[in-house]
Amino acid sequence: MIARYVLGVSLAVVMLVFGTTTYLFLGTRTSHVAEIPQKPTVATPRAQAFSMSGTLYIIQNGALYSLSAGRFHQLTPEAGWTMPSMLPNGTGLVAVRRFAAYSDVYILNRFGQTTKRLTSNVAPARNTDIGANHWSFYPRVSADGKTLWMSYDQPKYGYDVVMSVWALPMGAPIRQGKLWTNAADYSGGDVQPIPVRTGMIYTKYSYGPDDKLVGQLWFTNRAYSAGRALTTPGEDCRSPAVSPSGTQIAMICTYEKQISYLMIASWNGTTLGARKGIITNQLVAQPAWAPDDSGIAYLAPGAPAGPFQLWFLPKAGYAPAPTPSPSPGASPVASPSPAAPVKPVQVTTNNGFDATSPLAWSS
Amino acid sequence: MAGGLAYFLPAAQLAIESTGQVISQATPSPTDLLLSPQPQSPSAIPVAGSFTVLLLGSDDDSKFRADHVLTQSMILIRVVPSTKQVTMLSIPRDLYVHLSTGGFAKIDGAYSYGGPGAAMATVSQDFGVHINDYIWVGLLGLIKVIDAIGGIDVVTSHPVIDDYYPADVFSRYPYSYERVAVLAGPQHLDGIHAMQYVRSRHGDLQSDFGRSQRQQQVLLAIRQKSKLLSPEDLPAIASAIGGELKTSIGISEVAALLPLAASFDNPDQIRQIVLLPPYTHGGGPGGSVTANWDLILPLVHQYFP
Repeated sequence: MIARYVLGVSLAVVMLVFGTTTYLFLGTRTSHVAEIPQKPTVATPRAQAFSMSGTLYIIQNGALYSLSAGRFHQLTPEAGWTMPSMLPNGTGLVAVRRFAAYSDVYILNRFGQTTKRLTSNVAPARNTDIGANHWSFYPRVSADGKTLWMSYDQPKYGYDVVMSVWALPMGAPIRQGKLWTNAADYSGGDVQPIPVRTGMIYTKYSYGPDDKLVGQLWFTNRAYSAGRALTTPGEDCRSPAVSPSGTQIAMICTYEKQISYLMIASWNGTTLGARKGIITNQLVAQPAWAPDDSGIAYLAPGAPAGPFQLWFLPKAGYAPAPTPSPSPGASPVASPSPAAPVKPVQVTTNNGFDATSPLAWSS
Repeated sequence: MAGGLAYFLPAAQLAIESTGQVISQATPSPTDLLLSPQPQSPSAIPVAGSFTVLLLGSDDDSKFRADHVLTQSMILIRVVPSTKQVTMLSIPRDLYVHLSTGGFAKIDGAYSYGGPGAAMATVSQDFGVHINDYIWVGLLGLIKVIDAIGGIDVVTSHPVIDDYYPADVFSRYPYSYERVAVLAGPQHLDGIHAMQYVRSRHGDLQSDFGRSQRQQQVLLAIRQKSKLLSPEDLPAIASAIGGELKTSIGISEVAALLPLAASFDNPDQIRQIVLLPPYTHGGGPGGSVTANWDLILPLVHQYFP
């Protein structure tokens, strides 16, 4: 009788232990696809295998972070911040703060403190039409610091809400601004203005020859003029970034597919030269040139179909290797063995950055 | 053993609640059969051979009574395991058709009048396609599925901006609106933003057709992400989805399909069809879309033989 009782208890204990162990074991066998990204600062201080020059500003979950000397710092709370861009004198940034129904552009100092609001896009208090609110996206400040460029959802007609490129004096109300582009109806519109010495580059969305909506880089130097297309509809390009020397442009092209290539092309101030694909094996977004011309940072998934991480491609990975000019009379020497290809560096592993927000980078 | 059973309990519960549902198909009248270009027998085709699934997506917010919802999205998916080819055909929700339950109306009402059986029978009789199974997912279900698999990577083709997007999923006022701006380019979308991307149609010149193209993009992204899942992920996903998914596919068939889904690697073997003009044109009764059956049926018979 006692033996039977002991056996029963023993079996119950074995079942409990084995069952719990099995449950826990199966739990550890789950994939990590739904793992929530960490804050970048969780890994700080961490010995970084790689440290980029200057200070890079990046967005995760509505918060602005800086990355400097291999360490992340959270500059703002998670409060809808996105699309940072450096002020030309390097003393601060402009960035968008996005609310449920509108967004505004602010000036922030390098520590993330708001110093001025540049737009006022909330609907008047008495207006109950939600369409009376406005979006401002992709702010940029001209080299002389006097003009704010941005995408703004005016004019709009009922359901036809498209972004257009506007320029306005810094700190002035939108009524003093100037509409620069004529966005195509029902297309998403014109976004990502980049003021350059000769005019302004932007991304225009419109219906291509096959009736698909595509992105194209355009250049214009006159307000409300058509300007000229820099890329073809079939290339389906967006997110232009001008190199520090002003002679190259990096961009993201998708060729109308669910892929994206990081392309670079020479730029003479009015036209683009031949394209060169420098990242073609993964989904890639938001290229940003290092201010010291040491390479290009961009966002791309760290694992297949995963959240976007920060990557860096050193200049040697895309710039042509200098070819030494042979001096007259020099004896022929064996050509050096080809150098190993330079691979991109994955800077973060589990952070999930906002791939719709451009990166800002200061020296 | 006990631990394993407990672990997979949510998945088993979902399987019992949502899979293997019996479909009651409205029996077409002899007239219906004459109208059907190629009526086929309803016998099931084994997984080893090709099979066709009707994917249904619905508004299931508080504006509608449960099981009397419209289907905002209807996608026929044909899978040919031997050649690893997939064809997706989006059916415009406003297509004016002969319903299997009788009369003519927009095709999105078929589910509302007779449930999944009527939706399958209507598509089957009008398009001349044999449909093996259906999968129905509600708005909240799509959000939950995408969140449960950790989001999806999508190249959104253009900024999707909508000042009057229905705020009916989480709002207490299902007839209110919200402003939506899904920005363009490669990005990682969570459930809510993926839903906004596929559901908004006010800012698209192609309206429902443009939305259909976006729905197919997101479907492919979900499939891509699903390939990374392991069987041990199923309980968490099952408990996340809750009652937001219904299907006639039995649990044994689901098990057989999982490895099959993972083996479809080549995106070039996935054909996407949207019935743009001249296959359809507007101006039908009550704002519906009229079908050009002379063009549609040969196309359907080519890809859904």
